[in-house]
Amino acid sequence: MGPLSIVSEFPEWLNLLIAFFIGIGFGFALEQAGFSSSRRLAGMFYGYDTTVLKVFFTAAIVALAGSQLLSFFGLLNLKLVFVNPYYANSAILGGIIMGAGFIMGGYCPGTGISAMSIGKIDAMVFLLGGMLGAFLFMETYPLIQSIAMENYKGNMRIDEWLGVSPGVFTLLLIIAAVAMFWIAELAEKKFSRPDITSDI
Amino acid sequence: MNVRIKYSLLLLGVGTILAFLPFHPSDSFLLKSDELLSVAASGENSFTVDQVARMVNREDSTIQLIDLREASQFKECNIPGSINIPFSDLLNPMWEGTFNQRNLRKIFYGNGDQTANYAWAIATGLGYKNNYIMKGGLNEWFKTVMLSRFEGEKISPAENALYETRFNARKAFKQINSLPDSLKSRYFKAKNIKQMKLDGGCQ
Repeated sequence: MGPLSIVSEFPEWLNLLIAFFIGIGFGFALEQAGFSSSRRLAGMFYGYDTTVLKVFFTAAIVALAGSQLLSFFGLLNLKLVFVNPYYANSAILGGIIMGAGFIMGGYCPGTGISAMSIGKIDAMVFLLGGMLGAFLFMETYPLIQSIAMENYKGNMRIDEWLGVSPGVFTLLLIIAAVAMFWIAELAEKKFSRPDITSDI
Repeated sequence: MNVRIKYSLLLLGVGTILAFLPFHPSDSFLLKSDELLSVAASGENSFTVDQVARMVNREDSTIQLIDLREASQFKECNIPGSINIPFSDLLNPMWEGTFNQRNLRKIFYGNGDQTANYAWAIATGLGYKNNYIMKGGLNEWFKTVMLSRFEGEKISPAENALYETRFNARKAFKQINSLPDSLKSRYFKAKNIKQMKLDGGCQ
């Protein structure tokens, strides 16, 4: 019965060790999927390479369907799984800043680290900028705290908000994912840039 | 068939199956601690031993007394109509049928108040309705129902009714608990079987 860390009360060091190995796996998968290339990531914005959408959407539906199946068979207690608290202002403002940084820098934090680990200089500079941003955020936090904390919605779940069962929500998300995959394929044909994609 | 179409159909198939699966999140607290506290502080979650005695005399079918002590203690003595769910066994799925009955008032009791309060908080927190405790537990039951006597000269009608209730409950208590163990366990087995039949059916 999961989550394992809650049920078995792992010691802190074991929790961190498990996170370390999962981190290695995640980084390896990111690198192998080509996410250490800023051109591939930027391709999502320009439409010539939609791998990012396909990989992340697939990850989301696998996690969603998998956790629900585990819950159905009594192997995972979904109510014990941590749900990020939703601060609407922070999420929207942070999303805009992160999106802008993503397209300008060509990486998100995870893929930046993945690219840095294979020695990409642009990723190192990108991460340095990210750390500088984090430092500035901490230093100016008292000034922006009231904006960041506004519109707190608690541990919100979209299925509860829509008033549908988690299974129905999963189906809706899968339909959306399949539709997006088809649109992405069309976009790749329409905005194709063989001069870039053949290099990645 | 195109591999893309195959993947799409596979994904949609999995989604459709999931949409029809009943969602049963494993047992977990549905109420927050402050909600639990507000119900507990309102005092609406308890019955006095005299109220329980009256229900026992009436053979009230809308209540289920739940003895939270260990099986050996329960066998020694218990309030008529009780079932034994040791506190350590409270979350056993076997009792789901007993807890998950909206119209049945579940009244927990132990020797004192503590265990009953814990059981009440767990059952209520898990989202089961109509949970109560018997205030003071069996200690209070013995003091009030089993040992109290009227020692005045003149008895008012209200006092008379109260003492009659206690007397009848005491009689039932003694009768049930004087049964030999074999008969007692047979009695409870029969009661459990009857209850299991009632709990069946569609959800």
